[in-house]
Amino acid sequence: MSAVDVTIEICGMSGDGTIAAGGLLNGALSAAGFSVLAFDSYPAEIRGFGRCVTRTRAGESEMMALADKTSILISLDDEQSRSRIPFLRDDAVVLFDNRPVVYVGEGQSIAAHLEPKMNPFGIPFGDLAAEVSGARRGRNLTALGALAALFGLPGNAFHGAVKRKFQPKGERVLDANLKCFDAGYQYCRDTFKDRLERISRLGSRDKTGERELLSGNAAISLGALDAGLRLYFGYPITPATPIMEYLAKELPKKGGAVMQMEDEIASIGGVLGSFYAGKRAMTATSGPGFALMTELIAHATVAEIPAVIVDAQRGGPATGLPTKTEQSDLHAAVFGGPGDSARIVLAPTNVSECYYYTARSFGLAEKYQTPVIVLTDFFLDNRVENILPPKNRPEDIENGNVYPDPSKHGVYRRFEDTKTGISPRSIPGTEGFIFRTTGLEHTEEGFPDYSSANHMKMTEKRHRKIEGALTDLPEPVEFSPEGNLDLGVVTWGSTFGAALEAVQRAQGEGLKVGAMKISSIYPYHSDSIRSFMMRCNDILFPELNYEGQLANLIGHLFNKEVLRFNRVTGLPMSATDIYVRIRAIVE
Amino acid sequence: MAEQHFVVIGNGPAGNEAALTLREHAPEARVTIISRERGGCFRPHFLPRFVVGKLAEEDLYLSSAVSYRDKGIKLRSGQEVVSVHPDKRKIILDHKEIISFDGLIIAVGGRPRIPENLMVFGDLMLTLKTVQDAKVWIRKLNETDTVLMIGGDLTSLSFTKQLVDVGKKVCFALNDDAFWPLRFDRYLYNQVAGRLRENGVEVLEYSRIRGMSLLSDGMIEVNTDYEKVRAGLVGAFFGLKPDIAFLARSGLKIDRGILVDEYLHAGFEGVYATGDCAQVFHPDLRDYWVSIGHDNAVALGRTAALNLIGERVRAEPDMACIFDVQGVQVNSSWWMEF
Ligand SMILES: Cc1cc2nc3c(=O)[nH]c(=O)nc-3n(C[C@H](O)[C@H](O)[C@H](O)COP(=O)(O)OP(=O)(O)OC[C@H]3O[C@@H](n4cnc5c(N)ncnc54)[C@H](O)[C@@H]3O)c2cc1C
Repeated sequence: MSAVDVTIEICGMSGDGTIAAGGLLNGALSAAGFSVLAFDSYPAEIRGFGRCVTRTRAGESEMMALADKTSILISLDDEQSRSRIPFLRDDAVVLFDNRPVVYVGEGQSIAAHLEPKMNPFGIPFGDLAAEVSGARRGRNLTALGALAALFGLPGNAFHGAVKRKFQPKGERVLDANLKCFDAGYQYCRDTFKDRLERISRLGSRDKTGERELLSGNAAISLGALDAGLRLYFGYPITPATPIMEYLAKELPKKGGAVMQMEDEIASIGGVLGSFYAGKRAMTATSGPGFALMTELIAHATVAEIPAVIVDAQRGGPATGLPTKTEQSDLHAAVFGGPGDSARIVLAPTNVSECYYYTARSFGLAEKYQTPVIVLTDFFLDNRVENILPPKNRPEDIENGNVYPDPSKHGVYRRFEDTKTGISPRSIPGTEGFIFRTTGLEHTEEGFPDYSSANHMKMTEKRHRKIEGALTDLPEPVEFSPEGNLDLGVVTWGSTFGAALEAVQRAQGEGLKVGAMKISSIYPYHSDSIRSFMMRCNDILFPELNYEGQLANLIGHLFNKEVLRFNRVTGLPMSATDIYVRIRAIVE
Repeated sequence: MAEQHFVVIGNGPAGNEAALTLREHAPEARVTIISRERGGCFRPHFLPRFVVGKLAEEDLYLSSAVSYRDKGIKLRSGQEVVSVHPDKRKIILDHKEIISFDGLIIAVGGRPRIPENLMVFGDLMLTLKTVQDAKVWIRKLNETDTVLMIGGDLTSLSFTKQLVDVGKKVCFALNDDAFWPLRFDRYLYNQVAGRLRENGVEVLEYSRIRGMSLLSDGMIEVNTDYEKVRAGLVGAFFGLKPDIAFLARSGLKIDRGILVDEYLHAGFEGVYATGDCAQVFHPDLRDYWVSIGHDNAVALGRTAALNLIGERVRAEPDMACIFDVQGVQVNSSWWMEF
C-alpha cells in the first residue's frame, strides 16, 4: 500500500456543481502529482434531479480500482450526503455547510448522522461564496478551497484547474470562482489552525512525467481519432453517448463526420457501408443497442466486412440498469447473433487500454475483415484516470487492408480460401477486381451456395481466420511469483484493477496467489492461459455478472471446476471483497 | 407515551456519567450527548502524563467513541451547542440544527482562564485543557527544553512535576491570583513555592507579567516586574472558568457558574447543570459552592441524571480532597471563597 491513498467524495444535489467540483478536484490532484482514479455517479433517469456523487481516489502509486471506504466527504447537500455515511471510514473527515440558509430540524444536518470518531468540519460554504462573489452558487469552490487548506494541498494546482475550466467563460466568471476558492481556503487556514494537525497532510508529489486526465470514453474517442477514423455512426445510449459527443466536436475538425442515425441497426449499417467502401468507421452502443446490431454483425462476419463496435456494458438484461455497471454482455459480444459468427472481442482494463485497444481495432478489423468489438463497461467508460498521454502508434494508423495481388486482375476471387483464411479484399470500384458479396453462404467467388461441403469449408475458413488473429492480439499478462500457486485469479475488463489490488494485498501477506489479465476475450490464448492455470491449485473468476461469463468461456481450460465470484450490484468490483474471497479459498 | 429525549451537553466526566446513568435508569428514553470535543470521554487529569509521553493517547479515554453506539447513546462528537432555550425545550447547535429535548443536563465544564491583562499575549501562551492542546504541547516540547509557567493553578503544579521529571527546565512565575476562584493565602503560597524549588524549579515570586514578545530565534521573552525571562514555551495556568458564555441569553441564572439548587435543578422543568460548570446551592450554608475535580464531576453527573428521571438526590459537597499537589493538600471539592 502506498503512503498516501485517499478517497475523496463530493455529494450534492444536481445543480450544486458537484460534478464540476469533482472534475476540478481531479485536475488539481493530478497537477499536484498524484495518481488519480475517479468515478462519478448520478441519477439513473434524467440529469437535473437527484443525487450526484463524485469519488476520487488519489495516491502515490498507480490507482487501479476504487477504494471501498471514503476518507473525506464534502457534503454540498446534507440530505443527499446522508446516504454516503455507510461508505465512510470510521475516522472520515466530513466537510459540510454549517450555515445553511435556514435553521434545520433535528436530523436534517449531516452532522446528526456521523459516527463519533468521524471529524466534522463545519464551514460556511454558501456564506463565504456569497460574501466574495455575491452568490451562494460558488459553494462548491469554497468547499474545494476548504479541502485544500485542511489537507495542505497546493492552492496553485486548484487555481490552474479552475482557470482551465472557467477562463473560456470570461474573466468575470473566472474571477468569481477563484475568489470563492480562496475564501474557503483562507477561512479554514484561519479557523482550524489548531485542528490541522489532527489530519494527515497530503501535500504534493513528484510527478512522473506530465499526466493527462482522461475518461475511458474520451480515451476510446481519442484512440479512434488517432487511428484515422473517418465516420462515426451512432444512436445515443448510456454509457456510450459521451463517445459520440466527443467525436461530434473533434471528428469534423479532422475532416470526418459524425452521423446520428435513427437507431442502432442503422448505425451498424453505416459502419459496414463505410468499411466496405474502404473508410474507417465506428459505432458505440450499450447492451440494448448491441442486441439490435447482432444481425448485421453476423452479416459482417459472413460477408467479411470490417467493423469496429464499442459495447459499453451496463446493468442488464434489456434496458436493465442504465446507469450502473456490469460485465454481462460477454456472451452476447462473443456469441451474439445468428449462426457461427466468430469475431474479435477485446476488453480493455483501464483508461490507457481503452485508447490503445480502440486504436488497434481498426487495423485488426481491416486485416481480418471482421467485426472487432471493444467491450468496456459503465465504470471503465466513465472513470477518469490521469495517465501518461497516449501515443499515436504508426501500426494503428497503417492501413490494415490486405489488397489482392495485381496478378489476380480479372480472375479475382473475393473469398478465396487461403491458408490463413484471410482473403485479399478489393475495395469496390477497383478495376479488374469486381466481386459479389452477400449475407448468404457463398463460394469463394461470392456466389450463394448452400451445399454441405461449401458451408463446411467456408465456416471453417472464417474460424481459421479469426483463430489466426491471435498473433496480433494482446497476450494474457501474469502477475504472480514463480512456482506453484494456491490460487490463480483470472480477470478481465474493469474488474482487473480490483482483482490485482486484492491479489497484491494477499501476496504482501505471504499468500501464494497470482493474477492473470485477459484482454483478448475472443479468440483467446488457450496455451498461455492453460499453462498459468496448471500452476494453480484453484482458479477463481471474479466477474460483474451472474453467470460467470468468462468462466463459462475459458473455464474448461482448467483440469477441474473453476471457482467463481459473481457480483451484480451495479457497482464496480470491490478489491476487499475479492481479497476476502481469496483468503477464504486459500485458508 | 412518546419517546423521551434526554440531551446532555458536554462529554467530560460529568456529562459522560450523566448519560450513562440516564441510559441505565431510563432504558426507553433516547439519550444524546453533544460534545465539542471529538472522540469519546477523556480524562483531563491524565493530560500532563500524556504530554510527557508517559501515557498513550488511547489511555486518555474513559470510553472509546464507538462504545456509545453499543450502549445506545447517540454521541455527537465535534459539535457545539450555541444556544439553549430552556423555556421552549430546544437547543441550537453551531451548524444551525435545532434539537428538542424533554430533559437537559448541562455539563460543559470549564475553559482555561486568562486574566484580562494577559489576553493580548494569547497567541504566545499555551493552555492545557483538551487533547488537542496536549498535542500542541507535545509538538512544541520537541523543539525546546525551557518552559515558563505563569499562574500557578492545580493543573500547572502537576504538569510542572511531569515536565521536570522528563528533564525540562521549568521556570515558574507564581501568582497569587492563580487559583481562581480561590485566593491563594500566604501559607499555601509559601508551601507551593517551597515545594517547587525543592523540585528544581526556578520560582519567580509574585512576579506580574508586563509584556511578552516573540524573538527571532523562536524564543519568547517575558518581562516581569523585576526581570526579563526567556523561554521556548510559555504556559498560562490561571484555573478554569465555567464555559457558559453561550448561555448568556438563555434565561438561566448565572453567576460564576450556572446557579442550581442542591438537586442541581436549574430553575426550568427538566433542566439541570452539573460538574465544573455548576454553582450549587448549599441549604445549610445558605450559599453556593463550585466543584473542581474529576471525582466530584462524576458524582455530580450521576446526581443530575437521577434527579432528571424523578429521584430526589442531593449533591453533597463532602468529598475528600481531590488534588494532591506534591504533598500539598488542596480541597477543591467545594470552595466558598470567591
Ligand atoms: C490538565 C488538567 C489536569 C487536571 N487534573 C486533575 C486531577 O489531577 N484531579 C482531579 O480531580 N481533577 C483534575 N482536573 C480537573 C477535572 O478534570 C475537571 O474538574 C473535570 O474534568 C470536570 O468535569 P466536567 O465534566 O464538569 O467538565 P469538563 O471535563 O470540562 O467537560 C466539559 C465538556 O463539555 C464540552 N463543552 C463545553 N461547552 C460545550 C458546548 N457549548 N457544546 C458542546 N460541548 C461543550 C467541553 O468540550 C468539554 O469536553 C484537571 C483538569 C485539567 C484540564
